[in-house]
Amino acid sequence: MKTKIAILAGIPILVSGLWAGAPKKSEGNAPTAVVINSDDSAAMRLEGEKRFRANCGRCHAAPHKFPPRMMATIVRHMRVRATITDQDMRLVLYYMTQ
Amino acid sequence: MQHQSKSEVRRAPRLALYALVCLWFFPSTVPLLVAQTVDYERPVPILTGNAGYFTTEDNGTTELVPEVIPVLLVPLGDRWLIESRAEFYGGFDSAKGQPYSGKISKDLDYLQADYIANRYLTVTAGRFLTPFGIYNERLYPIWIRDLNQVPLIFPIESGSSDGVMLRGGFPVSSWANLNYATYFSSENTNATLESDRGFGTRAGIFFNRPRLELGTSWRKELTDERHNAFGLHFAWQPPPIPLSLHAEYARSEYGSGYWIEGAYRLSQIQGWNQFMRRTEFVGRMQQYFSGAEKLADSGGKYSLPHGDTQQPDFGLNYYLKDGLKASASYARWLGHHNWNTWTYGIAWRFAMPLRHAGGQ
Repeated sequence: MKTKIAILAGIPILVSGLWAGAPKKSEGNAPTAVVINSDDSAAMRLEGEKRFRANCGRCHAAPHKFPPRMMATIVRHMRVRATITDQDMRLVLYYMTQ
Repeated sequence: MQHQSKSEVRRAPRLALYALVCLWFFPSTVPLLVAQTVDYERPVPILTGNAGYFTTEDNGTTELVPEVIPVLLVPLGDRWLIESRAEFYGGFDSAKGQPYSGKISKDLDYLQADYIANRYLTVTAGRFLTPFGIYNERLYPIWIRDLNQVPLIFPIESGSSDGVMLRGGFPVSSWANLNYATYFSSENTNATLESDRGFGTRAGIFFNRPRLELGTSWRKELTDERHNAFGLHFAWQPPPIPLSLHAEYARSEYGSGYWIEGAYRLSQIQGWNQFMRRTEFVGRMQQYFSGAEKLADSGGKYSLPHGDTQQPDFGLNYYLKDGLKASASYARWLGHHNWNTWTYGIAWRFAMPLRHAGGQ
């Protein structure tokens, strides 16, 4: 009996936990942080590495990774300098900051 | 047995509650562990660039060239970038036992403001590298170039322009990206900001899968002579092998010529892999054919040969660590006179944030 009561009482807790863990939609003009799962993350990193080798490897050897905010500046500079596409820039930045 | 079952019954509610709390905690934390944000980190201003020290033995003359080339990058908001590059370099030579003498020079290569309007267009204003071919904009930094000696035709295509430029790159299909740059420049006779009045354009197409880029450039001078210059460029990194090929052709009133260069990393060699993967062999063939007019020697860093010339180059690079490279090369100058040129030295690329850069 006590077990049943405990389980019944726990259901709302479980539902609230699932709700709390679910990805939330961004609101208004807040920065759009896209939440992706680990499979998507691995795929994006792989694609980012591919774009990195295709775009950056055209001119120079792969540099070590820099801190994320430095990398954001470098990738913006390279977008202009090497006329890489917007999508390639995003994927390269993702790869270089993971 | 009876006692044990009663004990289990007493423990069951606590275990159930414990399991439920764990279940509550688990879905709450798992997304925190696996979630990754692809939003941009806020960029910070950085000071980067390269420094080097090279020695050239050229037809009996030894020249020492120390150089520092700082690049300042200042991002503003989400769409702006202010960028600038200067060159400080020395040229100290000694002919046949004489003491070294020379001077230190400085150039302002670019000082530009970039506005990323959308995914197809970036607007640049100020002083910028003239977009003609690929060497001037992409391969020139000493930590990038595979051979320290620039190609013979480099003075035809190099230089900076003061004006406005539109440029960008975008996919035209899943297998190809188009890139372009078009500009208008005004005349400036100031020694530091020297620029010719003219306009020009460059366009290229990059094929993703074979990593092959083809492009063409054109420039029109809006001076009294109204000269035209035309160029072609090529880059290819065949994916299965660590080989990088680049080539350019340029033609103007000052002459024409081409260069083709291949750089091969020895990373596929199994023995001594730690050493081999840092080692790179380079070969280049180039020719220059003099034109109807002579390019005025402004006393700058580079000048065209005085007559028809061809030059094979061979080089060896060793990457000591990220951004630090030791180089040696040999070239045979085959023109009106023939001689050997040896170059050796070291190049270093540096980068440092000017504000807290976060992470790592």
